[in-house]
Amino acid sequence: MTALTHPSAPQPQRQVAPRIGARAVCEALVREGVTTIFGYPGGTVLPIYDVLREFPLRHILVRHEQGGAHAADGFSRATGGVGVAIATSGPGAINLVTGLATAMMDSVPMVAITGNVPRALLGKDAFQETDIVGIALPVTKFATVVMDPDEVPFAVAEAFEIARSGRPGPVLLDFPKDVLQEETSVPYPEPYELRLPGLLRPVRGDVPEADELAEMIAAAERPLILSGHGVQIADATDLLRKVAERSEIPVAHTLLGIGNIDETHRLSAGYAGMHGWMHVNKMIQQCDLLIGIGCRYDDRITGKTSTFAPNAKIVHVDVDRSEIGKNVRTDLGIVADAGDLLAALLRRLPQSDPRTEWMDQLAAWREVSEARSWHGSGAWREGRLSADYVVDQIGEATNHEATLVSDVGQNQMWAARYFGFRKPFHHLSSGGLGTMGYSVPAAMGAALGAPERETWAIVGDGGFQMTMQELATLVQDQIPVRIAVLNNHRLGMIRQWQEIIYDENYHSAELLGPDLVRLCEAYGIPAWRATRPDEVAGVIAEARKAPGPALIDFHLDEAQNVYPMMLPGKGLSDMVEGASE
Amino acid sequence: MAAARRTIPAGDPDAEHRRHVVSALVVDRPGTLNRVSGLLRARSFNIESLTVGTTHEPGRSRMTIAVRGDDGHLRQVLAQLERLIEVLDVTDLTSAPHLELELVLVELAVPASADEEQAVLDLLASAGGETVERDADVWRARLTASPEVIDRALDALRGHGLRSLVRAGAVAMAAHPHHDTTTNENGAPGA
Ligand SMILES: Cc1ncc(C[n+]2csc(CCOP(=O)(O)OP(=O)(O)O)c2C)c(N)n1
Repeated sequence: MTALTHPSAPQPQRQVAPRIGARAVCEALVREGVTTIFGYPGGTVLPIYDVLREFPLRHILVRHEQGGAHAADGFSRATGGVGVAIATSGPGAINLVTGLATAMMDSVPMVAITGNVPRALLGKDAFQETDIVGIALPVTKFATVVMDPDEVPFAVAEAFEIARSGRPGPVLLDFPKDVLQEETSVPYPEPYELRLPGLLRPVRGDVPEADELAEMIAAAERPLILSGHGVQIADATDLLRKVAERSEIPVAHTLLGIGNIDETHRLSAGYAGMHGWMHVNKMIQQCDLLIGIGCRYDDRITGKTSTFAPNAKIVHVDVDRSEIGKNVRTDLGIVADAGDLLAALLRRLPQSDPRTEWMDQLAAWREVSEARSWHGSGAWREGRLSADYVVDQIGEATNHEATLVSDVGQNQMWAARYFGFRKPFHHLSSGGLGTMGYSVPAAMGAALGAPERETWAIVGDGGFQMTMQELATLVQDQIPVRIAVLNNHRLGMIRQWQEIIYDENYHSAELLGPDLVRLCEAYGIPAWRATRPDEVAGVIAEARKAPGPALIDFHLDEAQNVYPMMLPGKGLSDMVEGASE
Repeated sequence: MAAARRTIPAGDPDAEHRRHVVSALVVDRPGTLNRVSGLLRARSFNIESLTVGTTHEPGRSRMTIAVRGDDGHLRQVLAQLERLIEVLDVTDLTSAPHLELELVLVELAVPASADEEQAVLDLLASAGGETVERDADVWRARLTASPEVIDRALDALRGHGLRSLVRAGAVAMAAHPHHDTTTNENGAPGA
């Protein structure tokens, strides 16, 4: 069959000694700086597995391709690099999809490599054939079939460039098996040979709109920065702090913006949104200038958009033009990389006096909201184990320096609220897609990517049971992930919604699970159980001593809810503050 | 310096839906059409027509997409389209002078009288058309005009033995600002 010419592929001028497509793939990965890949073999990718030993690539054999995709995602988020996952055609490739969509929603760079049936069989319903590119299109930044061995080096280089440039995202490359088996003499391209006409490259350098923003800041009395994931993607947390200090503006953060500013910094306002801190949400509603930097103003932050930040001029800085004006009315939209904008702003801003009145107001609100929703608020029952206490103790024990990967549900909100983050790239969570089962495999990737840090997964008993097959991977490769299961024997967040919104009509919220300590025994993983507050510190200390993976099964009060809570369809001024209400 | 305030409203789903003609320059590779149409579908836009063809540049195709939607919503979707790797440029031609034409093939009953024949030929001519084949039992004709003119001609042809039709969908191109949008010889108004 005729090979499709890659439209932007340069005409091969230089030549190298011929090698098969599979070797060209591995060579390109090495050239891209990849050291670790997460994969699962199958017929169509066996040509890659056949040559893998020849390259300095550590292959982690996951137990399910979804785990591989999340692990690659966790690797990327913890390191700021590009994680790689490999799967075979058909079921293997499809198992990646949840992981791709998770990465897409959170703008995580990642490259997925799939095999497919040989070119001559494509489209003929051959054994284990799936149109994975067709399936992956809406959940990837880019996906394509590589139809010619000569295109392999270029395609891989292009995939990495697309994945990490501009607004990052996952890229899927599908290789028909015979493309991996045939030879090519085309070299790996030099950077100048890459021509990607469709890449939106934000222009680096000054951002003239910063003039206008600086004026708005000068005119504001109660300004607030709402910082999102984009600040970390741009590696601009230092600049953010400097801008905050220069202009004396408090900084709130979104879920994925955790770590943008040290939570103990005097200008850190805290976590905003649906289960964010009341004082932060009050600030959003009361501020006269809201500066969103690298956030999406998504519904988990804004609630009802018509009542969001009613007193504020809203500024939105995003690298992706299509985000601006998508969700909220915007008085000033600036398309720029967060780092470029912050640097431009810093050059323009004079040192501001402390905004005493505004900060005093924040302090007063904070005192009330912390007293209400910290443990002791009545949201849990006497003598039972409360989740916020457990998370707080993990934070304390690790000096708030661990990589913490949360799952989805109540555990995710407790982790976000009570760990006490200090640094960027230390909090990983599936924010946009809300993928249960994310945490354990993503923690696996994070632990391998950033081995110098302790890695904890915080997960509900529901999410844990979705991807717990990766326990075997943790053991086989002795990956030191500490797993804290916040076990309420419930799909906790479902139970909470049914209690508050569905008149306590509990259905399918009660969850039978295995005895986790004995389960871990079967895997050879040291495990502990804690049911009382006075046991918590001890088991955490024990788990931290384990050389490999470890697990703690925290038996919580099954009726504990996460407060405050913004009900569906409601706004930030209209939150349920606690159980007593 | 008094800064100009640009208020960008969030898309209002209740705003009046009007027809937009969008021109997109895209990379000619498998999957591009899928991506573009998929994005419009995901945002619940009903595509009235979508045409694709090669351009003077190798490896580049031009899409003309006619959709209905409110302006703010569409503007945002176009920005989403623009960020696709396969999409190089997106322009909403709706409010600027532009040429817009559509090709239609029709099958007509053979006119029963000379008067009828003249009426059919006049209608075809009003939409830049002419007969292509005149068989004993059927006529085939083509029309080339703006979609509105085509619509009017087709409505009228229904009373003159219209049997079936194939519409190619609109193709559009930005026009010179002084382009007279009302008296184009093919009756192709610009807006
Ligand atoms: C894959 C997937 N399925 C379903 C949901 C819907 N969902 C959101 S939270 C939740 C309950 C989670 O329960 P658990 O993992 O035990 O955590 P908890 O809320 O108790 O901390 C469910 C079912 C989801 N987010 N992801």
